[in-house]
Amino acid sequence: MRTAAAPAIRVGIGGPSLTRAALVLGVGALLLAIVLVAAVALGSVGVSLDDTARILGRRLLGLPLAQTWSPSAETIIFDLRLPRVLTAMLVGAGLGSAGTVFQAVLRNPMADPYLIGTAAGASLGAITGILAPMLLPTLAIGAGTAWLGIGLVQVLAFSGGLLTVMLVYSVARRGGTVHVVTLLLTGYAVSSILAAGVAMLMFLSGRALGAVFAWLMGSLAGASWTSLAFATPLVLLSFVLLMARWRRLNLLLLGDGAAAHLGVDVEREKLVLTGLATLATSAVVAISGTIGFVGLVVPHVLRLAIGPDHRLLLPSSVLFGASLLALADLGARLAGGIPVGIVTALIGAPFFLWLLRRARTPLMP
Amino acid sequence: MLLGLLLAACQPAPPSSISPTATDRVSASATRSAAASAYPLSLTDDVGRTVSLASEPRRIVSLAPSNTEIVCALDACDELVGVTDFDAYPAQVTDIPKVVVQAVPDVEKIVAAMPDLVLAAGNHQTPQGVLDQFDQLKIPYLILYPDSLEGIYADIELVGRALGATEQATSLGAEMRTDAQAIEDRVANAARPSVFYEVSVYQGVIYGAGRDSFLASMIELAGGKPVVGDATGVIQLEDLVAADPDLILLGDAAYDPSVTAMSVAARSGWGQMTAVTQQAVKPMPDDLIITRPGPRIIGGLKALAKAIHPESFGG
Amino acid sequence: MSTPRRDALLAVDGVHFDYGRRSVLRGAALRVERGELVALLGTNGSGKTTLLRLIAGTLTPDAGEVRFHGRAVVEWRRAALARHVAVLPQRLELPSGFHVAELVEMGRAPHATRLFGASAADEVAVERALIDADALELAHRSIDELSGGERQRVLVAMALAQEPELLLLDEPTLHLDVAHQLALLTTIGRLRRVRNLTVVAVLHDLGMAAAFAPRVAVLDQGRVVGEGSPATVLTPALVRRVFGVEIDEARTADGQRHLVLRPG
Repeated sequence: MRTAAAPAIRVGIGGPSLTRAALVLGVGALLLAIVLVAAVALGSVGVSLDDTARILGRRLLGLPLAQTWSPSAETIIFDLRLPRVLTAMLVGAGLGSAGTVFQAVLRNPMADPYLIGTAAGASLGAITGILAPMLLPTLAIGAGTAWLGIGLVQVLAFSGGLLTVMLVYSVARRGGTVHVVTLLLTGYAVSSILAAGVAMLMFLSGRALGAVFAWLMGSLAGASWTSLAFATPLVLLSFVLLMARWRRLNLLLLGDGAAAHLGVDVEREKLVLTGLATLATSAVVAISGTIGFVGLVVPHVLRLAIGPDHRLLLPSSVLFGASLLALADLGARLAGGIPVGIVTALIGAPFFLWLLRRARTPLMP
Repeated sequence: MLLGLLLAACQPAPPSSISPTATDRVSASATRSAAASAYPLSLTDDVGRTVSLASEPRRIVSLAPSNTEIVCALDACDELVGVTDFDAYPAQVTDIPKVVVQAVPDVEKIVAAMPDLVLAAGNHQTPQGVLDQFDQLKIPYLILYPDSLEGIYADIELVGRALGATEQATSLGAEMRTDAQAIEDRVANAARPSVFYEVSVYQGVIYGAGRDSFLASMIELAGGKPVVGDATGVIQLEDLVAADPDLILLGDAAYDPSVTAMSVAARSGWGQMTAVTQQAVKPMPDDLIITRPGPRIIGGLKALAKAIHPESFGG
Repeated sequence: MSTPRRDALLAVDGVHFDYGRRSVLRGAALRVERGELVALLGTNGSGKTTLLRLIAGTLTPDAGEVRFHGRAVVEWRRAALARHVAVLPQRLELPSGFHVAELVEMGRAPHATRLFGASAADEVAVERALIDADALELAHRSIDELSGGERQRVLVAMALAQEPELLLLDEPTLHLDVAHQLALLTTIGRLRRVRNLTVVAVLHDLGMAAAFAPRVAVLDQGRVVGEGSPATVLTPALVRRVFGVEIDEARTADGQRHLVLRPG
């Protein structure tokens, strides 16, 4: 009889070793810090790195630094770039973790956070919000004023995403069971219906078409401390609750039957996971529009690089997703303010193709 | 209340005194410093927002060419610190930093210009997200969105009050009113032909004057009966053929030399319209000032009136 | 939980189940005592895999009841049931990228006490499971590199890591060659003794069942039509009636009874 304290042979379980986890997450955090500094220091108006660091030191850390910079530099760094970079990071983090979860729940390598209706629902909501002042002139004054720091567009986008996924989920549910293929097809069908609505509104949007288009392509141009304050708690809450369910995420990779045999209440768990991932997705889509490829590529690449264990995969997706989107947004800003979705698609899609060609095994989770 | 009195006092300024000559510049700045006592100032812009100005603006950013023209017409060109890359009138504005590039306002550049007043454009020309950022950064802005000639006069007066140049604004407005009235008088008794003003035709979608639009009101004032599309200006070819305009004016010809009376006649479905068979299809090289709601609009109205009623202008 | 009379560890009573209009089980009944190894036999579509799923609680009977420890399986919480019942499936699509030890550790999920790491009890259980399933040398291999037989051993280890009382096998030999079939059933037989496991196995090979299972239950048209030792149940008459084939009984020199299929 062996004692629990001293197994004869170290099998090495308990997840990734501390050093490996520290290495992966450390690299992720370091990259994030470098991207943060670079993305805040660079922009269409030149502010020296020295001034950037001093402004951040004074405003963020409360250091008693003499103000050697112009007030406009401080506004640009602290009120424009910093919230924008942090928003990019939050959106990248939210899409990264939601993408990881959707790929596990749907057991589908092509799954991204938008697949089962979030994007279509949020788009319809947001565009309704953009056009509402035009369609209902009485709203014209109210639209400019933010409600609890968030505008009509954000509220409608957020609720549109959540409601659509709830609708898709309940339509796909048959006898208490949701089959993955049914869910995907239902998501596709419902999204198509909503996309028709989106196209109809675009056709009617007239001069607001530019605003509609920018939203659909995904843009962080409107980033602010208030939109950040709206989405951050939702993304954090979603992440913490998802992280606590890492074991069940791993088990779902074995398939519904095996997961059930290992004690997972599969249908309930899928509903909870989908809900949590949709919460984060809707929150970030509400403040950024539908930015593509991040939620698809980040979990995928990381799974190949560090393995499928969600204990490490989920926090890594958050860190690397944040860095990737902040970098893409920096590129978008330096390219003259094009929507960041164009940059992620331009960089993400060819990279993904390269990965598909290079992979020896099919990219299944 | 006080402002209303001030305005009323300025009202009877004779139109002859407002032509922008070198001597007027001096009196202009004198008036403006006199008006500075009226700050802090509370204004209402074209979407009904109330805007407070603590002191007389000295650094102005304009986010639309029409706004730039209004500022310059009030002798405040020197105070512009940011304009759009589309701005070319008056010529001196081309040297001012461009804070709107390819129709995208660059908020960083706007902030770097340290404006104490931004003149934004309505109807989504300045994106809502950018306006939200102005709100958060406490940058005062006025949204200018005139939908008629009266609206343009009102905007000129609004900017005039904001800049402490109420006198110039009032007299410029009065002059424009007089000139507009003169044009309207000339065409008042002429027959009113139906006029379709082509803004653009792209992939079969025809844009003209929108229902109740500024452009439609201009055609009306210039002595025509506007053939209008829906609120966004889109008109179906069938509806256009059914309306059968007496005159087609090609605004897009000002920018695209391939749009001509001949190319219009060659379009499928267009050939049988009265305007085409009667060879009443005219390019409008002055499209810019016809559609730009700024101080040069009277020139645009005149160009329109001339195109619709050449006989009334000795043509 | 409190039942007046002593119940078997596993009791199946008059269970009915149908998939839509197709009736699969019509009043099946079975009792399995602690420590038994029972083979479920039957033709394709006889309902044996369905019965196994009803026992595992992934299906709910339309009528009748499946009780484990005297309590209806459908009333058990999934996580609690998983601490007592493990299932070795026919085949499992193993997710790419895990190592064997990580996969076997997943068998500890129902017992997990730590938020992230593994407890000392988990370590011991995983190691014992790997040893008992003869998979210890595979511990650090990637599951993508394993052969069919190795994968099956890893799945056994995963089920053992659950430390179940009841192990359910769903045609575990279906995708294995003869040598691996024998090895697996030998392992299961050994584990039943050393771990005092109760085993219910769906098997398709009558010969294997007769050789390894002390007790068999034959399902036909949704009912258990024969139950007991292979020698008493698997008579040529029953086999002909249920499976539609002729068999001969043969005895080896040491007196063991074997079934031999007669070529039609």
